Amino acid sequence: MIWAGIALLILMALLGAPLFVVVLAAAMLGFLAEGVDLSVVAIDLYAITQKPLLVSLPFFAFAGYLMAEANTSERLMAVAKALFGWMPAGLAVVGLVVCALFTALTGASGVTIVALGGLLLPMLASSGYGRNFSLGLVTSSGSLGLLVVPSVPLILYGIVAQQMNVGAPFTIQQLFIAGLGPTLLMVVLLSAYAIWRHGDLPRTPFDAAALWSALKAARWELPLPLVVLGGIYSGYFAISEAAVLTVAYVLIAEMLLYREIGLRALPGIVRQSMTMVGSILMILGTALAFTSYLVDVEVPQRLFAFLQEHISDKLTFLILLNLLLLALGAVLDVFSALVIMVPLLLPVAVGFGIHPIHFGIIFLANLEIGYFTPPIGINLFISSYRFNRPMLDLYVSCLPFMAVTLLALLLITYVPWFSLWFL
Amino acid sequence: MSAEDEPAAEHEAPLIWVRIQRVVQAVETALLVFLLGVMVAIAVYQVLARNLFGGGLVWGTALVQVAMLWMTMVGASVAVGGNRHIKIDIVNRFGGAKLQAFASRATALFAAALCGALGWYSIDFIRWDYIDGVLAFANVPAWLCESVIPVVAFWMALRFVLQAIWPPPATDGERGEEFQA
Repeated sequence: MIWAGIALLILMALLGAPLFVVVLAAAMLGFLAEGVDLSVVAIDLYAITQKPLLVSLPFFAFAGYLMAEANTSERLMAVAKALFGWMPAGLAVVGLVVCALFTALTGASGVTIVALGGLLLPMLASSGYGRNFSLGLVTSSGSLGLLVVPSVPLILYGIVAQQMNVGAPFTIQQLFIAGLGPTLLMVVLLSAYAIWRHGDLPRTPFDAAALWSALKAARWELPLPLVVLGGIYSGYFAISEAAVLTVAYVLIAEMLLYREIGLRALPGIVRQSMTMVGSILMILGTALAFTSYLVDVEVPQRLFAFLQEHISDKLTFLILLNLLLLALGAVLDVFSALVIMVPLLLPVAVGFGIHPIHFGIIFLANLEIGYFTPPIGINLFISSYRFNRPMLDLYVSCLPFMAVTLLALLLITYVPWFSLWFL
Repeated sequence: MSAEDEPAAEHEAPLIWVRIQRVVQAVETALLVFLLGVMVAIAVYQVLARNLFGGGLVWGTALVQVAMLWMTMVGASVAVGGNRHIKIDIVNRFGGAKLQAFASRATALFAAALCGALGWYSIDFIRWDYIDGVLAFANVPAWLCESVIPVVAFWMALRFVLQAIWPPPATDGERGEEFQA
């Protein structure tokens, strides 16, 4: 009976049932097998109101969508171009930096490719970068900022991991700092690749006047990172407070100062962003129920005991973890993967002596690559759709970028220092 | 992808249901704007109050968190209507038309059953809070805040049933697509 239920559940997941329904089914099936009253599922869903940090998700998501709708991406581009454009392969470096920042703001929901890609791709092509190189750069950068504050997946990992309460305790602020090193490493390695491939392209000299006018154009948006990061790191604002202040700040900047978003556009933006947040939190809510079932029947402990019999050292575990997560990242989106897999894998990882912060960084870095892993990484589809190119082109163009980011992933995984240097 | 790109579905939903959906869409959008507005307003007030006069509304944080639950439920319902829920999208990408049609009907029925079950069992949970007179915050009873769960769950179940009868046009599942000009 239970096995038939599990089979049906897997079949439905593969046929494309909404993931929150699949997780809900898994939780209910589990509790049913244990003889627990199913109303516990609703209680766990209601528990999302008991997590103060969680309200920062809708706030940051809304602020990100607002900025995606305004001309923020163009102003950001102009500033980055003035700052880094003089370097060899300058425009590629600019693209990487801007994509990382923009993804941090919008949470790797494909918005980066759609909003920035359309801007970046023609610029790269007209500056002499190869077609495949440009396409690969734009597609693979679409998830590059996943580890940078205030990326929603990063916050979500913090929430899920802290709830598990295993391993060394850590603060969300520490998690935020931890994400910077690995992201920098990826950007540097990708830039090095860009310079190796296209370093011979003519350079544009540094232009102080251009920088000044770009800075002036972005004057209302530039203080934002200071408000958010300064507030959070100084301990002056809680994260949810910084999140709502970001909303207020962005609303004032885009609606009153830049006047790029009118009152009439607002309901549409709310609807889009909150539909995304609703689907994520719905999965989280049902996953909370599923997790409490897993913990009840000690699945993580059993999994660890099983793995310990077959895997003796941390290194083998990490290699297997990377392989599993890469495959997972290509099939599942980052949010579902987080709320479903972290409760299972984090206790195991801690058992193998991995710091929870390091585990989170590895986890997210893997999923970052999963986004453009052939054949079904979601960014490949978004790019194919957005730029009207066949999927095969995208596979080919993304492979070199995948190789470089995989190298970065290896370093991040096996050299914890990149994530934990400040501890 | 806009609706115009889609070939007309084999079985068109009756006009009345299409019209109802349009009304529902407007109501949902209004609710989302209202809820997010409340969350932003109260949360901003809390920050200002804490820094200016050293305190805020005692129930402010709780209200924001309940509003977030409501927003989650409404947002999830919108996602059902627009066929935009996060899912493993292999069949829609690589499956044939027949498999796709079967998959969308089968998964819709499956989802309807599960949402119905969620609604049904959440009533139990709410009934106990009602009997015990549990308060969520200030003088607001907890059952009132929780009631959004069964209401939206049953509504989603109904939506899924109707989708099993008249499958909605497939979306690409990309949350960025609406940014296309």
